[in-house]
Amino acid sequence: MKKRFDPVAGCNADIITCITSSEEVRSANDDIQFKVRLCVEEVEENILAYSGTTWLEVWTAIEEGYLAIGFRDGGVKFDPTIAKDPDIMAPVDKRAIGGLGIFICKQMMNVLDYRYEDGCNVFVMKIKLP
Amino acid sequence: MEFITVKKDSNILITISGRLDTSSSDEFLREMTPVLEGDEKSVEIDCTNLEYVSSQGLRIFLMLQKKVVARQGQMTLVNLRPYIKEVFHITGFTKIINII
Repeated sequence: MKKRFDPVAGCNADIITCITSSEEVRSANDDIQFKVRLCVEEVEENILAYSGTTWLEVWTAIEEGYLAIGFRDGGVKFDPTIAKDPDIMAPVDKRAIGGLGIFICKQMMNVLDYRYEDGCNVFVMKIKLP
Repeated sequence: MEFITVKKDSNILITISGRLDTSSSDEFLREMTPVLEGDEKSVEIDCTNLEYVSSQGLRIFLMLQKKVVARQGQMTLVNLRPYIKEVFHITGFTKIINII
C-alpha cells in the first residue's frame, strides 16, 4: 500500500485508517495490529506537530519477515529517533507529562529508521512477523 | 468514549468505555477536570471497557495520579485489558499507578 495525503491537514484519522486497513497490516495477528495502530498514531502526531509538512506519503510493505510502515514528508528536518526518552523509573511527582509517544514506538517496534533524503524526512518502523 | 462518574463522600468511581486516543483525549481531560480540581482521596477507574489508550490518554492518567498523590490519596485502575496493561507496563506506569 502506498498513499499520498496532500494536503495533509485534517487527515489524521484517515492516515491511521489507511495504514491499519492495508492488506499488510490486516493479515498480521491481533497483537501486531494493536501495536501498529498505536505506533502509527504516535508517529503521525509527532510528524504533523513538529515537521510542519503540508503533505505526507505513507506506505506499508512486508520486507524479509518484517511488517514495515513508512512515512515521507516535506517539512522541516525532524528525526523522531533522537527524541529523549522519559525517565520511567522516576517517582510520580518527578515524572514528566509527555514524551511517551516515540518511546512507546521504540519499545513496541523492532526497527526505527530515519533519514533525510532529497529534502524530505523519511521514517520507517518495522515489527517482526511471527 | 463514554464516562460515568459516581461520587460518594471522598471516593469517586469512574467508568470509562471506548477508545482513548488523540481525538478523544480532550474530552477525557474535560471530564476529569472536576477530579483534578477536587479533593477526593480515593479515585477508582474501571477500565473493563477501555479498548485502547495512546500517549495522549496516558498523560491524563499521569496528571490524575500526580494530583491524587499530592492530596495523600490513591488512584486505582481496575480490569485493564492485556494489551492496554502492556502499554502501562512499558511506559513505567505500573510502577507509579495502582493497577489491579
